[in-house]
Amino acid sequence: MNFLAKNKLLFFAISFVVIGAICNFALNSYIQALVVSFMINAIMALSLNFITGVANQFSLGQAGFMALGAYTSAVLTKVYFADQWYFIPLTAFAGALVSTVAGYLVALPSFKLRGDYLAIVTMGFAEIVRVLFLNWDFVGGPRGYNGVVKWPDFLVSYGFTGAALFLTFIVLYHLKISWFGRNLWALNEDEIAAEVMGTPIAKNKRFAFLFSSFFAGLGGALYGHHLGYFSPASFGFLMSVQILIFAVLGGLGSMSGSVLSAGILTALPEILRSLPTGGIDIRMIVFPILLILLMILRPQGLLGRKELF
Amino acid sequence: MQEFLQHTLNGLSFGSVYALIALGYTMVYGILAMINFAHSDIYMMGAFGTFYVINFLKLGESPNPITFAIGLLAAMLFSGLVGFMVEKFAYKPLRNSPKMNVLITAIGVSILFEFGGQIVFGVNPKSFPQLMLDTEVFNFMDISVRLLDIIIYMVTIISLISLSFLIGKTQTGRAMQAVSSRQDMAPLMGININKIISFTFIVGSVLAGIAACLVAMKYPKIDPMMGVKIGTSAFVAAVFGGIGSLPGAVLGGYILGLGEYYLIGYGASTYKEALSFLLLILILLVKPTGLMGKKAKEKI
Repeated sequence: MNFLAKNKLLFFAISFVVIGAICNFALNSYIQALVVSFMINAIMALSLNFITGVANQFSLGQAGFMALGAYTSAVLTKVYFADQWYFIPLTAFAGALVSTVAGYLVALPSFKLRGDYLAIVTMGFAEIVRVLFLNWDFVGGPRGYNGVVKWPDFLVSYGFTGAALFLTFIVLYHLKISWFGRNLWALNEDEIAAEVMGTPIAKNKRFAFLFSSFFAGLGGALYGHHLGYFSPASFGFLMSVQILIFAVLGGLGSMSGSVLSAGILTALPEILRSLPTGGIDIRMIVFPILLILLMILRPQGLLGRKELF
Repeated sequence: MQEFLQHTLNGLSFGSVYALIALGYTMVYGILAMINFAHSDIYMMGAFGTFYVINFLKLGESPNPITFAIGLLAAMLFSGLVGFMVEKFAYKPLRNSPKMNVLITAIGVSILFEFGGQIVFGVNPKSFPQLMLDTEVFNFMDISVRLLDIIIYMVTIISLISLSFLIGKTQTGRAMQAVSSRQDMAPLMGININKIISFTFIVGSVLAGIAACLVAMKYPKIDPMMGVKIGTSAFVAAVFGGIGSLPGAVLGGYILGLGEYYLIGYGASTYKEALSFLLLILILLVKPTGLMGKKAKEKI
């Protein structure tokens, strides 16, 4: 179970470098952009999986945290760092912190609200964030935020996004198998029993929310710098649902499953792109069908709660 | 003052529609304890049902009460049918699954309808046929009362009375109450739970169909995403009133309808959705069960 064992770490480092080199020298920029998208999707899926899969707190507001991260980082680079790309890691971190503060505020009432009601509150939170950005002219309002500073080339983008994904994975994976994670599992299985056993459930939920929103904000910031453009509509309910699908397909509670399914679901729409849909986003047809079938045929997802390694 | 009265009239017709849709959310929640995210799309299907039936019968050119009756029936029928199918094929296989799985399926069904609808019906809005002429019935101190608003009030009141009769006075309605209060005990009284759940879905969907027909008459543009905004508001209304409580849904619907119309009327329309959610979150924090909801005891 020890992920940080040296041989595994070495294996991941080598394969990361090899994949990066292949993408940089042998593949076109379309595939390169897809690889970075995959890593951002994986960060988002992991952040949701921690709060929903491990702690069983249903969040439909991941897009809201993402929006906070993206807007904060984009505004900071523009206003304070004159659009220099090497400040992106710093501003992305700041974006993640802003998102964490929001996560704390959302988590405050979570000891009072359960299940569906919590889902509604998180959904409402994302909607409120979206409408606030919609009405804020400085960041473009409904037209969206144009000219977000982008990474200079693929390798830099790949390196930093990969590092962020690695950080997300390591932190959340270790939290999952730590004593804290075990408390969350108890919470997941039976809230009342967990409380009776003496685990501080309100505090644990709040902490789980903090970690989840931090990484969602980080993913959002990277999303903005990867695409160079976003609008409030990018962070609507559909984005939250998309993240949910990533986490559910991999298996709620399985960190490596989230990464795996982010890979599958980033590639799948591209493979299906040739299908005639009359200009409709093919993802929005494939994903819901997948979701419904998955819930009926294999509700635990691909990996359940197991990990690949 | 007359401006205020005009907003009130408009708000009441909005509120009627919200009440009708919110009833569907709350009925399904009351019986299955799930949020039926697809409800707003069942509503959308009702409007398209009317659209295709009226165009098929070539009644679009003759607005009169008979056309209206046919259109309304078509919407009810279509929505009811879609609601029945959704329950049968998507929710029924998950009857014993964890709550979260059902919720996720509901989200999937909803998105499938919205984007599948864009493929089947086309992305561009369709103009809804005129079922009744929207004449001004009377004008009092510059407040114009239009026929469509009166139709909306009347149809809503008739629907609400029929619903309360159905639930309070008929055998099926009592069975619905029984299933809603104790799902494990109801079968012992000889109630076929699956039939009652199907029936509840159909009733809720028919109400959504009525609402769809009324809204499409007032705002004659329909598209596959038309349910999203109104569905969200109606859902907020249902939670606000206390999800699971029928009078609560109606009350919540009218409060939200009036509130939103005053907001639009007095110029804060871009914040409309955020404000309704903010209101909802505040209500949930102060009184998590909503205005008229019952507190569910958790048994160990």
